[in-house]
Order: sequence, then C-alpha cells, then structure tokens
Amino acid sequence: MDNIKLQLKEQIIKQLNLENVSVDDISDDMPLFGEGLGLDSIDALELIVLMENNYNIKLLNPEEGKEVFQSINSMAAYISKHQQ
Amino acid sequence: MTNYITTYCHILSNECWINGEQIALPNANEDITKTLYNHLELDYPKFFKMDRLTKIAFLGVELIKKENTEVLTYKDDEIALLFSNAKSSAETDLNFQSTYQNGGVPSPALFVYTLPNILLGEIAIRNKWYGESVFTISENFDANFFSNYCSVLLNKSEKAVLCGWININNENVETFLFFVEKKDLKQLHLHLNSEQLLELFHTKIKKNG
Repeated sequence: MDNIKLQLKEQIIKQLNLENVSVDDISDDMPLFGEGLGLDSIDALELIVLMENNYNIKLLNPEEGKEVFQSINSMAAYISKHQQ
Repeated sequence: MTNYITTYCHILSNECWINGEQIALPNANEDITKTLYNHLELDYPKFFKMDRLTKIAFLGVELIKKENTEVLTYKDDEIALLFSNAKSSAETDLNFQSTYQNGGVPSPALFVYTLPNILLGEIAIRNKWYGESVFTISENFDANFFSNYCSVLLNKSEKAVLCGWININNENVETFLFFVEKKDLKQLHLHLNSEQLLELFHTKIKKNG
C-alpha cells in the first residue's frame, strides 16, 4: 500500500504539472481539493485519466469520484481494492 | 482622437525586450517561459498547467504591468483585450491529438487549451479584468486591424486596450504585445497608427525570423 501511495504522489505531480510540489509536500491524508493540495475540476478529470492509464481502472460514476479522490489514502485504497 | 502606445514588449524564442530595451535573462538555454517566470518572481501555480501559447501571453502581460504600473490603476472593465495570431492553438491541438491517437485517453487539461481565446480568459482571471475581449486569426500581423479596432474600442467605454500578436511555430516564438492608452503617460511619443505599429513590430520580429 505504501508503494502505491508513493507512486500516486509521483504520478499526480507529473500528470498535473505541480511544478513546485514534491512528494514530501503531499501527506497521505491531505485533502486533494480545496484547502489541501488545491486541485480544481480539470485536475479531477486528469485524475480519472491517470487511474485509467496507470491502473486500468475506469471511474464511471461522478459521485464515486468524490469519495475516491478525497486523499492519497482514499485513492490508494480504491486502487488496492479494484486491482485484486 | 489620438491614442498612444505607452508600453510594448517582444518575446522571442530565447530573448525578450520591453520598450525596445533587451531584458538580461540568466539562462538562454532554458525554456523562455520558465526563465521569464523566474525573472518576474511570480507565484502563480496555475501557470504551470497552461499551454505554451497561454504562458507566453500571460508573461507578456506581466512584463507590461511591471514596466507600466498605470495598467493596474484602471477599473476592472476599462481595459479591453485584443489578441491575434496565425496558427490559432495548433501546437496544443497536435499535443492533444497525440494523447489519444494511439489508444490513450484524451487529456482534459490539454483539451481546455484547444482554443486560442482561452488565453484571454486566463489573463482576465489573473487580473480580474472584465472588459471586452477579442481573439482573431490572421495570416500575418495586421497593423491596420489593431489600429482601427483599438480606436473603435477607445471611442466606446474602454479606456485602454492591451493588444497582442502571439505566434508559435515549433521552436519559433513570435510575440509582440502593446498597451494603448488615451494619454501618453509614459512619454514614449508613440502615436497609435498602423505605420508606427508595423515599425515597432518589425524592429524585433524580423530579427528573429
């Protein structure tokens, strides 16, 4: 699980062009949107693409996305569950 | 009524000029957008998500604001934006196409920039400017168009016009931004007319080409 979290942080930084953000700046429970990492609605769409390209997981329900993309913890848990 | 070009800048592939004076940039081998971002000491994370066309327009506006602080004294609906280029958003269109061409998933972040007028939105958001904005496509820099359209805008409710020609073709960057006001506050003595615009445009752009 820790491996997935680290990998996710690296992929998010790269995919979303977070130029001045490092892996250490993103804690596992930090909210990805709003006050936390400050991602926006376009970033949310990029996260869906990231999940599909890197983990072959398709998120089809927008309501599900709200839960999944809360934090690195929630993303990693979702990936672990759906890759089994 | 006479209108005046009070500030102008050129951004080329690896050099930059403001009011005819070259800006000393530290790293000629680095991407010009990154060099200028650091040079201007900006802190705007959204910049890094923009496409190259928008980044260059954004930086040009920041350079003009830095040189001419009068820009910041206008009310939010008093500055019009008038931009043009020849290649539209072709570079980003091709980048976007490459994301899905080989079975990949199209990138939403790139899709956002597959219209050139998005750069006007980014400038408006950054500066909270809500005046009129226009983006046109033209084969070449059309000095008559800029001169005439500025005059029309300034005869209406707008008090200033920020204009830009931003063309990107592979590595070649050809950018000319200029700020037009009703008063010659910066005392550059540059009347807005097509001859003057062409002269300013070609001073640096020809050198680049």
